[in-house]
Amino acid sequence: MFETKSLMVLIPALPLAAAIIVGLLGRRWLKEYSHVPVVLALAGSCVFSLLLLKDISNREPDAKQVGVEVTHTLWTWAAIPAAGVTTPQIKATPNFQIDITLRADPLTCMMLPMVTFIATLVAIYAMGYMHGDPGYWRFYAYVGLFVFSMTMLVSVSNFALLYVFWEAVGVCSYLLIGFWFEKPEAAAAGKKAFLVNRVGDFGFAFGLFLIWVSFGTLNFHDAGDVQGVLGQTLLANPARYAEIITGSVALAIPLLLMVGACGKSAQFPLHVWLPDAMEGPTPVSALIHAATMVTAGVYMVTRCSPLFMLDPRAQLVVACIGGFTALLAGLIALTQTDLKRVLAYSTVSQLGYMFLALGTGSLAGIVAGMFHLFTHAFFKALLFLGAGSVMHGMHHIIDMRRFSGLRRVMPWTCLTFLIGSLALAGIVPLAGFWSKDQVLAAVHDRAHDGGPFVYLYYSAVLTAFLTAFYTARAFFMTFMGPLVVPHEVGDHAHESPPAMVFPLVVLAICSIFVGITFDHSLGDFIVRTPSLACTLVAGEHGLEHHFHWDIAAISTVVAVLGIAIAAYFYLGDRRQINALTRIMQGVRLYGLSNRKFFFDEIYHVLFVLPLKGLAALSYLIDRWLVDGLVNLCGWIPRAVGAVLRNIQTGVVQFYALAMVLGLALLIGTLLVWKVG
Amino acid sequence: MSAAALLATTLITPQWPYALAALLFAAGMWLLLPRGAARGRRLGAGVCLAGLALLTLLVHCGMVVACGEESCDVKWLPALSTSLGLGEDFVFLTLAAVTVASAIASVTFRKPVYCAIWFALCLMGVAGLFLYQGAQFLGVATIVVYAGAILVTILFVLMLATPEGHAYYDRLSWEAPLSSVLAGVLVGLLTITTASALTTPPTGDKPAAPAWLAAKTTDAYHAERSKNILNDNHLAGIGRELFSKHLIAVEVAGTLLLVALVGAVAIAQSIGPTASATKRDS
Amino acid sequence: MLEVQLLYNYLVIGALLFGIGLVGLLSRRNMLIMFLAAEMMLQGVSLSLVAFGRFHNDWGGTTLVILILTVAACEAAILLALVQCLFHRTGNLDIAVWHDLRDANQPKFIDQEVPGDDAAKPEWPTLTPAGIEPEVDADEALEHRIHV
Repeated sequence: MFETKSLMVLIPALPLAAAIIVGLLGRRWLKEYSHVPVVLALAGSCVFSLLLLKDISNREPDAKQVGVEVTHTLWTWAAIPAAGVTTPQIKATPNFQIDITLRADPLTCMMLPMVTFIATLVAIYAMGYMHGDPGYWRFYAYVGLFVFSMTMLVSVSNFALLYVFWEAVGVCSYLLIGFWFEKPEAAAAGKKAFLVNRVGDFGFAFGLFLIWVSFGTLNFHDAGDVQGVLGQTLLANPARYAEIITGSVALAIPLLLMVGACGKSAQFPLHVWLPDAMEGPTPVSALIHAATMVTAGVYMVTRCSPLFMLDPRAQLVVACIGGFTALLAGLIALTQTDLKRVLAYSTVSQLGYMFLALGTGSLAGIVAGMFHLFTHAFFKALLFLGAGSVMHGMHHIIDMRRFSGLRRVMPWTCLTFLIGSLALAGIVPLAGFWSKDQVLAAVHDRAHDGGPFVYLYYSAVLTAFLTAFYTARAFFMTFMGPLVVPHEVGDHAHESPPAMVFPLVVLAICSIFVGITFDHSLGDFIVRTPSLACTLVAGEHGLEHHFHWDIAAISTVVAVLGIAIAAYFYLGDRRQINALTRIMQGVRLYGLSNRKFFFDEIYHVLFVLPLKGLAALSYLIDRWLVDGLVNLCGWIPRAVGAVLRNIQTGVVQFYALAMVLGLALLIGTLLVWKVG
Repeated sequence: MSAAALLATTLITPQWPYALAALLFAAGMWLLLPRGAARGRRLGAGVCLAGLALLTLLVHCGMVVACGEESCDVKWLPALSTSLGLGEDFVFLTLAAVTVASAIASVTFRKPVYCAIWFALCLMGVAGLFLYQGAQFLGVATIVVYAGAILVTILFVLMLATPEGHAYYDRLSWEAPLSSVLAGVLVGLLTITTASALTTPPTGDKPAAPAWLAAKTTDAYHAERSKNILNDNHLAGIGRELFSKHLIAVEVAGTLLLVALVGAVAIAQSIGPTASATKRDS
Repeated sequence: MLEVQLLYNYLVIGALLFGIGLVGLLSRRNMLIMFLAAEMMLQGVSLSLVAFGRFHNDWGGTTLVILILTVAACEAAILLALVQCLFHRTGNLDIAVWHDLRDANQPKFIDQEVPGDDAAKPEWPTLTPAGIEPEVDADEALEHRIHV
């Protein structure tokens, strides 16, 4: 019905059009109907994404091609003649040229339906959640803009454009975190997210510069005789990579790209912004800070996996960052009392899992990371929306100590949250089990060789235990036990409206089934992505499916153990947990976890204070030195004027006299000059 | 070398005689200007005249030196006698003397009406000088526009606005010494500049005057000029020039005249009886 | 007369006219005489221009002088209207009365002592009255000549 190329354009174009419509008309005319264009556009995008997915999955790679890819060049954005790079390794690329090129390959086609589907559900959910907010139209305009940016981010076929939309989603994230900008915490959180992301983007930009000077192009695909960084020519002949980038550059490029991914995906040491980002509206947390935007780093690393394959040290760094972040965030999540913060640290932890999987450097690992990204999107969105539902019922109170036993007033929320929790904990046969199992299996495969991956494997298992524990803890504290509601709510505690329950139910169903349904098929599909299909990544054998009974057993046991311990501590009168907390406080471990390992404080001392000092110094210099000079410039004419003012007698003839005097001086000078 | 040339070389090489002439002129002007009850106008006229005479001599001598006595057809002292026979130079000298003298009278007389009438004479002199240059149209236009229109209007206003007797401001000057000296300095500077440009005396092997001066004395140049700026159909030449090359300037000038006309009417209309009434009341 | 000499003579006369006009403009206090002096300066410039034009065989000088004439006419029209206006305000033509644009802390321009009029009272011819002398209102007559 639709051509592939028109589908590729329509998917981002619809949300953009909706965002523009709402942005322009929302305030005056659409008002409480602002959701209509956005929801329709996102649903349309979702349908088109599925059509595109069908189209791409029906294509078989021909013998000459590596993987399946369709590119569609819309127009040329920048073309600077004779600004190209020439190195001995690559042919001369005379022009610096950036084409607006969209691509469709299995990786993109996996991301697009996921993004648009969750975005549609979140938009529907927000109809209930954001109802009556004065910034209703603004919210939907931002969401439309975000979905446009995100779909473009996964569709573009050029590093420069990837960077542009990488920043665009960052801007949308900033706008939505600071959506309630009258609230000081929200404004500060938005600023923090923006600034921390700048650090990552700095590294990313340097990575792009290195790619540009090494490859002479920023294209993914081949365009004419310009061989793209991830184009067919290079992928078909991976030995060329080692010729083009050698030595430290081969390590620097992936590490710099990883810095960018760390910023966007909230990995250590740039993870500090994500928990604060929970100041934004909860649907935003679900869409941007759990399901889609924060996975952009994972997507980018996967897309560039041929570059990461060149140096094993790069893979190890990725794996270590991922494993360490997963464990760290899991530990912090243990003691958080804010429901959304628990989920936020859980997101950081699960993103760490994904990077750990990518860092194994095997095709199975990369597929496992993407699969975990896919399943995580559903159940984490579900959990966040469930938390939002609780907030909605509790009048925006989210401290778990202030309510409990909500299963009685919010049965649907409780049920769907339970499904999400079990999926996150990795209980058979929910989504999280299958993807986590793949990740653990990939890490375990690498651990056969010994080395750091052995420790990473054990820390991943420990993280799985922690995940199960804190998830169950959150669930028990919120929904089990005697019914307690904050006094502000009184007896108004209620189940959320259908517009909010419907997405919860859909996501719950998805959380049950996406794991078992796509366990193998997703992997088989995305390995046909050019970046993953090349022999550099896929090796000789390609993807082989093994079900690791041992690992499945271990992870299930660990998850059940975590839930059981949580149940032991949190069901009932909680005497034991209070005792345990006191012991932990005694050895100062509780505070360490509760205060997030003091990262905010450390960063404050290390970076914020020196910068503030520098700013104060600059202020003083500006105030006294620069302003002083400027004032001096102003003072000189005034002083001269004070002298000259005395000859302003107002007598006309005096002015004429002065003119003639000047004339005489001029002629006299001329005479002396010429004659004398 | 004749006596004139000798005198000239001694006088012109240093520039102090010009300065002296200018100084005499300035002193004379100062004495001539109305200075209240002070006397000395006759003396002033004499001093001024002396300065001007010195200047005339210097100009002539400068020319003699520049051109060389042999090539110069103006032989001042001998020519003075022949000039009495109403020669060409005599006409010029008369016109120049009338112009300058009436100009001095025009700015120094106390009664404004006299000033205006002397100014009219000055204009006549200027018109004569224009005619002497061959600028026929300008000569006539100066008389018609200035003497005929502007001056009559001024006289008209004077008749309306002059009080009985000598007004106090006609008997006083503002900084008369300063302005006289300044004007003298300016005249001296201008003359010296012109002299140094036009009448460089010959030194060594260098020719007397710049080469471009020599080019303007050829017969071919004169022939060319008589076809052009000194043509018999002088007026046609001006018209052609004015309405082809300077058409826009002519249009702008016409617009300016219109604007001035409207402006003058507007300003004159703003004179109401209230203005004078309030002045009297205060 | 040689062309160079003619040019030189005219330039000197032009300079003299300019200088004399300058003296008048700077030191005379009657606005109308100042105007005459300014016109005289223009005449000096015109003479120089015409002389240059002739010397260089160029119409430019003549053209420029024609334009100067035009501007002088405009100038005269505006100036005379202005002088009338100012005269109605103060009753005299003294330029020194008008120095309102001086700096705020500058003193007013004070004349030195005004010397007495040394001119003899003019004796106007008298005519034999013819017919009846018109009635003259004393106030009206006063107002009419109040300024002079």
